[in-house]
Amino acid sequence: MLGLRNNGGSRLHRGVAELADGLLQGRLDRREFLRSVSWLGVSAASASAFAASVLGAKEASAAVETPKRGGSLRFASVIQELSDPSTVAWIESSNLFRNSLEFLTRVDADNVTHPYLAESWEPSEDLKTWRFKLRQGITWSDGVPFTSADVAYTIKRWIAPDSKSSNKTSFASVQDVEIVGPHEVVLHLSRPMLALPQMLFAYTCPILPRDFDATGANWPKHPVGTGPYTMTHFAVGQGASFKRRADYWGTAPYLDEIHFIDLGADISAQVAALAAGQVDILYKLSIEQVDLVKRIPNAVLLTGSSAQTLCLRMQVDQKPFDDIRIRRAVQLSANNKQMLDLAYRGQGTVSQNDHVSPIQPEYFALPPMQRDVAQARALLKEAGYPDGIDIKLVLGNTQGRYEQDTAQVLQQNCREAGIRIALDVLPATEYWPIWNKVPFGVTYWAHRPLAVMTLDLAYRSGAAWNETHFNSPAFDAALDHASAILDPHERSKAMQAVEQILRDNAVMVQPYFPAPFTATAKNVHGYKLNPADYFDLFTVWLS
Amino acid sequence: MARRWGVRLAEIVGVMLAVSCIVYLMLEVNADEVAVKVLGQFSTPEQRHLWLHENGYERPFLLRYLGWLWHFLWGDWGMSTHYREPVIDILPARLAHTGILACATLVVMIPASFLLGILAGMREGSLADRAISVFCILTTSVPEFASAVFLAAIFVFWLGLLPGASTMTEGFSLREIVLPVLVLALYATGYLARIVRASMVEVMTSAYVRTALMKGASPSRIVLRHALRNALIAPVTVIMLQVPWLLSGVIVTEVFFAYKGFGTLLYEAALNSDVAMIEACAMVSVVVVVATQLLSDLLYAWLNPRMRRAERPAPQGAGV
Repeated sequence: MLGLRNNGGSRLHRGVAELADGLLQGRLDRREFLRSVSWLGVSAASASAFAASVLGAKEASAAVETPKRGGSLRFASVIQELSDPSTVAWIESSNLFRNSLEFLTRVDADNVTHPYLAESWEPSEDLKTWRFKLRQGITWSDGVPFTSADVAYTIKRWIAPDSKSSNKTSFASVQDVEIVGPHEVVLHLSRPMLALPQMLFAYTCPILPRDFDATGANWPKHPVGTGPYTMTHFAVGQGASFKRRADYWGTAPYLDEIHFIDLGADISAQVAALAAGQVDILYKLSIEQVDLVKRIPNAVLLTGSSAQTLCLRMQVDQKPFDDIRIRRAVQLSANNKQMLDLAYRGQGTVSQNDHVSPIQPEYFALPPMQRDVAQARALLKEAGYPDGIDIKLVLGNTQGRYEQDTAQVLQQNCREAGIRIALDVLPATEYWPIWNKVPFGVTYWAHRPLAVMTLDLAYRSGAAWNETHFNSPAFDAALDHASAILDPHERSKAMQAVEQILRDNAVMVQPYFPAPFTATAKNVHGYKLNPADYFDLFTVWLS
Repeated sequence: MARRWGVRLAEIVGVMLAVSCIVYLMLEVNADEVAVKVLGQFSTPEQRHLWLHENGYERPFLLRYLGWLWHFLWGDWGMSTHYREPVIDILPARLAHTGILACATLVVMIPASFLLGILAGMREGSLADRAISVFCILTTSVPEFASAVFLAAIFVFWLGLLPGASTMTEGFSLREIVLPVLVLALYATGYLARIVRASMVEVMTSAYVRTALMKGASPSRIVLRHALRNALIAPVTVIMLQVPWLLSGVIVTEVFFAYKGFGTLLYEAALNSDVAMIEACAMVSVVVVVATQLLSDLLYAWLNPRMRRAERPAPQGAGV
């Protein structure tokens, strides 16, 4: 079919024809087409060429400077413990091991899935059996060859009964991992999972060596990986260093060394370090620092769009939020646009309390929610609080001061309806241990390329990170239905039910999707702001 | 004399024991909470139970405390849950970093405040006295978190002269320590200079200085030979009081400049509920406070001959 072929050269999935048709008829745009066929195992290069031939567009070849090899880069980031890479709760930790540990697939900043340790994959027609062919000739940094045993070991570890990994929920449908050959595994699923290849790049999914548990289950102590760098130093709260491996199987990255430096939780120290040329890249900037960075002569400000967000969520089984009228009253009182404008200077997109971002491929635009203070008051009265109600909102400013500012706007909004919110602001590290335990709290949710990935983790009944204790068979069914549809537009239509059920249950105020910011020194090239904060430094070079 | 110091030592040991008991009581009286902190919020009740059993938490509180104290005395300070390393491997290096910061601060602060204090106190009410007093009150009334921002704005962002973070990742750097030292010294110098000035004023108006002056001694000889030693007594006590402050009170400055010292260690340990680390930090602080008090007593006795005479046992051998 016009040069479309699978990474492994095997037969194309039936769905590919459907998607190609969509592109030909103009129902799908280039990006939607690339993203969807890549899940089905079609090689990105052939899909790109196909799209170009159909759309008559030439692959953009931007004028680029010739990258320079060598040099050592300093990256400012919090250094958290990462004994077991499959259980880390911090994306920062994954940005460390991403230099040494690799994944089966790789998702680029445009959300297109590429082969990585798996050189090709092939789903069955019903999307329930997935065959992965692994790249040959890869060795772990301790000299042991990489085989399907490593992959099977890693995935079985996620879904084991005693697994503490959040992957246990994400991959709950994986029933078995079958080793077919030394470089081939088959995943047997209980329900169709279209986005499986993309999900395998989630930050908790690096492939570990099969003797990980046998060597003490402590990766920094025994940092064996297949990736281009080897970790040479690691100290929580201080720093970590990586050195380039000479015998890397793939394209060699430009930098010789990478040093991660922990400058503490105080972002002002990080900006000061960038201004003084002590670090080259900051992990993240908070909105308050943006103006300051603009004035630093040797710094470049980066921004983009992302599905990261704040959820001011309520637990549906805790008083008084077990009464949906109270939750709805809070949601009706909230002025989401005002929260974005005042707390985040309007830098982002207003949301409709459904936790699906317009940049996510399956987004369905629900009609906007109208603020209705009178109705909120009426609901309160009906629920037995004619004189208003006192509730407590706990937050930890885990991403910066804007969380508190957002909560304060909500506090003002709700006061109009007689809902008196008391704010309980904790230090971030004190908030993290209780983020999913407080009845009413502010949680930061990181970007995920697909909305279903977030919804699966956060709102499916009994999910690992279901912080609202939301439990709705109708929602679960709708989510299953949407997850199994191949055509992005059809999937988006199926998402209407998912988003509507979630919003109607008023489990949270999810006001806006803030734009991410970060900054680098002027001599850093090839660094892209990843919407998910999954940074790899393989294409970065220093001038 | 020996008996007096014996009592003093006993007091010190008593204080340390009392503090260790309070620290242990506050952090470990609820064994289940300790298990949650060590194993994390996602641990299962069985895991916690097993951990409590393995670590002897079913024993009575007093026995647990004594066991902990015994281990502590022998250098077994437990495992840090946040840093995933034995506490004893981390704490001494961090303490040394803060020691460097504290020494550098003292090296700047003592000469500066003595110079200012003596200049101001030599002639009370002079122009120099008033100018110095205004300066001292100004610097002492600006807290460290404000002066840190202020100095960083000038030297890092505006002039671009100094580094903004003092992590010392590539070993000790003199440039990186300038700003934290400046912040700390600025805050403490004013206060110490005021004390030196007050002492100086008192001594300079005393009868024996007047006598020396009438005898025809030169002003420099009077200040250096006669007045200074007597004027030192109060400031030395104040300096000794600053030492514990330089150890644990510098948290704000250390965190602001990301200086990896004892202050940031305690701060991070507290934020991450790192029980063993908090206990060790608290114990180290107590030792430092008590040791500086002891040192200050010794210095005081050396500087003030009246103290030594008073300490001599009475002929009947009664009392201390």
